[in-house]
Parts: sequence; structure tokens; C-alpha cells
Amino acid sequence: MDSNHNPYTKQLPAELGAPAFVDAWKSRALVIGAIFAVIAVILGFLGQAEDGLGWDHFLRAWTLGTMLTWGLAVGGLALLMVQYCSGGKWGLLLRRPLEALSRTLPVIFVYWLVIALFMKRLYLWAQFTTAGDTAAALKNGVLTEIQAHCIDFKRPMLNADMFWGVSLLCFAIWVYYAVRLNALALQREADAPENTPYWIKKFENISGPGIIIYSITMTACAIYWVMSMDVTWFSSVYGLLFLVGQGYLVLAFCIIVAISLSKAEPFKTILRQTEQHDLGKLTFAFVMLNIYLNFGQFLIIWSGNLPGEINWYLDRIRGSWGIVITLDFIFHWVIPFSMLLSRDLKRNKKRLLRVCQWMVFARAFDMFWLIEPNFKDAARNLHFSWGILEYIAVPAAMFSFWLAYYCTRLKARPLVQVNDPHLEEILEPEHANA
Amino acid sequence: MPAREGVYGLLAEFETPGDLVRAAQQARQDGRRRRDCYTPYPVEEAAEAIGFHRNKVPLLTLIGGLMGGTAMFLLQVWVSVLAYPLNIAGRPMYSWPAFIVPTYEWTILWAGLSAAFGMLALNGLPALYHPLFNAPNFRDGATTDKFFLCLEALDPKFDRAETKAYLEKFKPNSIVEVEY
Repeated sequence: MDSNHNPYTKQLPAELGAPAFVDAWKSRALVIGAIFAVIAVILGFLGQAEDGLGWDHFLRAWTLGTMLTWGLAVGGLALLMVQYCSGGKWGLLLRRPLEALSRTLPVIFVYWLVIALFMKRLYLWAQFTTAGDTAAALKNGVLTEIQAHCIDFKRPMLNADMFWGVSLLCFAIWVYYAVRLNALALQREADAPENTPYWIKKFENISGPGIIIYSITMTACAIYWVMSMDVTWFSSVYGLLFLVGQGYLVLAFCIIVAISLSKAEPFKTILRQTEQHDLGKLTFAFVMLNIYLNFGQFLIIWSGNLPGEINWYLDRIRGSWGIVITLDFIFHWVIPFSMLLSRDLKRNKKRLLRVCQWMVFARAFDMFWLIEPNFKDAARNLHFSWGILEYIAVPAAMFSFWLAYYCTRLKARPLVQVNDPHLEEILEPEHANA
Repeated sequence: MPAREGVYGLLAEFETPGDLVRAAQQARQDGRRRRDCYTPYPVEEAAEAIGFHRNKVPLLTLIGGLMGGTAMFLLQVWVSVLAYPLNIAGRPMYSWPAFIVPTYEWTILWAGLSAAFGMLALNGLPALYHPLFNAPNFRDGATTDKFFLCLEALDPKFDRAETKAYLEKFKPNSIVEVEY
């Protein structure tokens, strides 16, 4: 349809950059980050004095913060690639916010370095690096027999060199894709509109293989960084759980960004109710897929009831952890599911925003349940200590600092891609092509 | 039902959904209560424009889904705990995780069936006769590429000449008088 002849078409505003209040978000995030960082350090000392685990809890919570922000950065990159392959107007809205997510990888790398440098405190396999070590630890009762066996058996994969090598390789691959897609997006913008078919093909050809490579690298890192905290356990659906979790998190976060930006131009013009509704539906699908995979894993392991597998769940159910998993189920699935079921809610900016904020929290809560029971002092024994509060303070600080950096990335480019055939459609009144 | 005679309404044909929606919105604002839109594919804004926003299908779907899920869960509890208790690998008789998959399937099945049949029950389909099919342009266009607004004669404001002039303002392709 020729938009020039449709008198009801909206006009794109002249100023396409991020509105000024993004700077205010940044300073607010920095202040909140600083406050929580101070609290985290105090809690570290308190925890250390209480049970000698203060800094251990600090590092575990640090892993949670890393996984959360990492999920946003690489998940954003993945959704960007999916969008280049699938097309769709929802993607035109999110393209710049997603690109900005992918450009936060430097922060994630710094976060990850801390994990790598202190790996001895987080991973049993990093403590006992030779067969002699494990044999001695087994004799002293530090390790159980199955743990000693697993550490020895998995040593070719779970050792410091491989940890560094695989992680660095994965970072290199993500950075390559992020840099390439971001640079090409600018070139495309500068090019003539006639060349659009060439660019669409080009982005497709990069993104298609990129999605597959991403899912492999993402799985590898989820296994090294989180799953290997419990050396005895393995699950073939583990990478997929993180993949879906990232979809859940990134969509929720992007809806927050889009709705918050829509208070001013240019998102005021381009965020239509139709696309907001579509994004809500897509998020709903991820809520469903997420519980499907999580429950599927549980059902299979519960049915098998094998000594090698079931302990992972028992560590996370017994000793009051049952309360956490019940809450997790409610936070993570029941609430977003029953809220997003409503059509009116998905079309209401304020309410959808609240649900998406809740979902970001729920994702962090889920990872608390995933991470903390890996450790001997917490498995089958949920108990209060100062250290456990680090799970609030550290991720809050890390997320805030990351968010501040994200705001600078968001400011770096215009928020709307102009050189795209979908732009005309997004400026039309909603019912023109319903 | 007594046989009806006379004019059913005036049918305006539009080329685009946008034109239809604007006309429908205006007609609603002007207090023309008996009106309906006909489009070849769902146009949600048209439904909203004639004030047809709420219906009971979502509620029926929810009730159907909850009933289906509850029924299947209880059926399994009854079978496993009361009717045919079997010791399966030493698990408790009431092993709820194993009941979830059929419960989920029945929730979807009954939600889907309730949505489909609830929709049919509430919208009056299947209808064997509708006066609008007397209009040739409606027969050809309503399922392909034309968008229709019908202002019905039951409306208190309906007047053949006045309503026709009113519809002319929206510049439709044509205005047809439809008989019962």
C-alpha cells in the first residue's frame, strides 16, 4: 500500500534518538547499584563472621548476577538473529534495543572473569585437580564416593584449562556475531532503499547459522558455569532450559524497555497496540515452553528415580527447599501464565509492564533455586544466614550496573531503523492491515 | 418465527478495512445502534468499532479447561488410589507428577472444544438463512475482498432516505437496500 496516499498515516518524528530520560535511568541505576554494592560487601563480612561462608555466598550470588545479565546480553543477540530470520513487525520495534543488549557483552566478560579467577571456591572439580587429590579427599570424608568418581571421570572436560578455553572461545564467537551484526546494521541504514532485498538476505545468511552456533556455545557455557557446580549431575535438556529461560527473560525485558520508552518519541509513535499485543503473546509462549521443559525434566527424573539423578532434585526439595520450589512454580509460571492469558492485560501498557518486571524477578528467583543447593552447606538444608541475603544484594548491584551500561548503549544509536520496508506498515493506523 | 417482510437494512460496501472501521466508529458515535460489520477475514478493530468487545467465549473456554483438567486429574486419582491400586516401583498410590500429562491434555482438549462450541452456541451459527445474501455484491465480496457495514432497519433512527444519505458521506463503493 502506498502510504503517501493514505491521509491517516502517522509521520515518523524528526528526532529518532533515545529520549533524554534514558540518562536519568542511567544515573538512577548507578545509585541503586552503588547502594547494593555496599550492602553486598557488608553482608560478606557479616556472613564471614557468622559461618565463614560470607564470601562464598558472595561468589555464588555473583554467579547468579552473571547468569542473569549474560542471559540478557547473549539472549538479546539470539533474539536479534531469530528476528532477522523470521522477520515481522515486532522485530523492527525491538531491533535497536536488542542490538544494544548484544553490545553489553564487555560487562558480562568482566563479570565472568571474577567467576573464572575464583573458580576454586565455586567448583569441586577445580579444587581437586588430580586423582591423588580426590583419593585423599575421599579418605578424609570431604567428598562422597560418587563425587570422587565423577570428578575423576569428568576431568578431561572439567578442568581449569578447558573452562578458560571453552569460555573464551564462546565469548569470541558471541563478540564476533555482535560486532558483525551491529556494524552491518549501520551500513544497511546508510545504503539506498533499493538494496533492501540484498540486506535481508545478507542478515539471514549470517543469522541462520549464528542461531545454531549460539545454541551450542550457550549450552557449553551453561554446563561449565552452572551445571558443573554439582559434578555428579547431568541433564541433556540443561542447555535448552537456559535457552528458553533467556527467551523468557529477554522478551520480558524488551517489553519493559519498549513500554518505558513509549512515554516519548520515537517509541510513542512506533509502539502500536498490535505489536505490543504480539510481543505479549510471544512472551506467553515462552512462559509455557519454560514450564513444559522444567516439568518434563522433573517428570523424567522422578519416573526413573535413579540414584545418579534423583539426588539433584532431592537436594532441592528436602530440608525446606520444597517451599522455595513451590514459590518458584507460582512466581515463575502460575502468575505470569494467568496474567498473560488475558487479552486486555497484554494490550494495557501499565499492567503488561508490571507483569514483565515480575518475570525478570521470577527468573532470578528460579536461578537461586538452581544455584544455591549445589553446595554442601545448603543442599537439603535451607537455612537463614547473612550470606544468603547476598542473593538479593549482589545480583541487584550487578544488574543495576549492567543496566547503566545498557542505557549508554541505547543512547548510542537512533532507536528506529528507517531503512526497512516494515516501517511504512508500522506507521499505518492499526486496522489498515489487521 | 413469523415471516418478516420489508427492508432488512442498508448495506454499504467498502474497499479497505480502514474505511469500514472509520465508518463503523462514526455510526456508533452517532447513536445508530443496530449495525454490523462483515469482513472476509477477522478485523478486530471493526469488532471494537461496533462495540462488540465483550463476549462470553473466553469465560466458557476457561470453565471448560478447568473442568476438563479437574475431571482427568480426579479420574486418575480414583483409578490409582481407590479402584485399582497397584504398586508401581514402590511409589505412593497418589503420585501426582504422573497425573499431570493427561490432566494437561484434557485441559487443552476441553478448553478447545468449549471455545469452538461455545462460539457456535453464542453467535447463532449455523444459520440456514440470512437476508444479506440477497445482495449480489455481498455474495461475491464478503468472503473475498470487500468490507461491509450494514445499518439495520430495526434501528429507531433508521429512515430509508436519511440513512442512505448518511452512508453516502463515507464514500462507499455502493449502497444496497437489502430485503428480508
